[in-house]
Amino acid sequence: VKVKQILALVNRMQADGVIERYAIGGAVGATFYLEPIATLDVDIFVAFRPEPGRLLVSPLPIIEYLRARGCTLQGEYIIIADWPVQFLPPTGPLAEEALAEARLFDVEGEPAWVFSAEHLAAIALETGRPKDKTRLLQFIESGALDLGRLDAILVRHGLQERWRRFEQQFLEDGP
Amino acid sequence: VTFNLPEILRSKREMRQRLAARPVGEKLRLLDELRERALAIAASRSRGAAPSRPSIGTTPQTPGGN
Repeated sequence: VKVKQILALVNRMQADGVIERYAIGGAVGATFYLEPIATLDVDIFVAFRPEPGRLLVSPLPIIEYLRARGCTLQGEYIIIADWPVQFLPPTGPLAEEALAEARLFDVEGEPAWVFSAEHLAAIALETGRPKDKTRLLQFIESGALDLGRLDAILVRHGLQERWRRFEQQFLEDGP
Repeated sequence: VTFNLPEILRSKREMRQRLAARPVGEKLRLLDELRERALAIAASRSRGAAPSRPSIGTTPQTPGGN
C-alpha cells in the first residue's frame, strides 16, 4: 500500500523530531471511516516546530528532510511513494482541535494519526464546497458519527447556524 | 437485476457500507487503484483532446508538423 509508505516516512520524520503531532485529513482521512473516496492527493496536517527567533512557521525542515530521502517537489506538493502530499499547518481553532484530538489507527502494523470522523465532518461543514457537503452527507448516512460529539464541536466552533442551513437544505423532507 | 429505483438505491447503500467496513489497509489499497485509474483516464483524455481549430487565415497544421 503506497499510503502506508507515506505513513512510514511521516512517522520516521516525527520520531526524528522534524514535526510534532500530525494527522491525516481530507479524502484519505475520510476513507478511514467511510468507503474509499477517490482523491489525487494526501493532506497531512502538522504541528510545525517553531524555529527560534522566527514568528512564521516554515515547512523548510520537512522539505529538506524528505528531499534527503529521495522525495521530489512538485509545486505545493511533495511526492512520496508516487502520491502528491501536502503538509498543512492547522489554519484555525477547529483544525487545531482536530489535530490535538486525532485518533490513532493501525495500518497493517504502521501507526496512523487521523482526524476523528466528527472533526472531519465539522471541517467539511466549515469548508462548505459541494464536495465537502457530499462528504458530510456520506458521514451522516454511514452512521460513523457520534452525533453528540459532533454537536459539541459545532457549538464550540460556532457552526450551529451553518449546520441548521445544511440540515434545511439536505436533511429535511421539503415539499 | 432490477430496475426498481428504491431497490437500486438500497443496494448501492449496502455496497458502500460493505466497502466502509473493510480493513483500513484494504481501503487504502483501493485508494491507490482509484488514483491510478483517475490518472490514466486524465492522461487518455489529454491524448485524445481535439487540436485547437486554426483561425481564419492560418494554414492548417498536420500532426507532427511545425
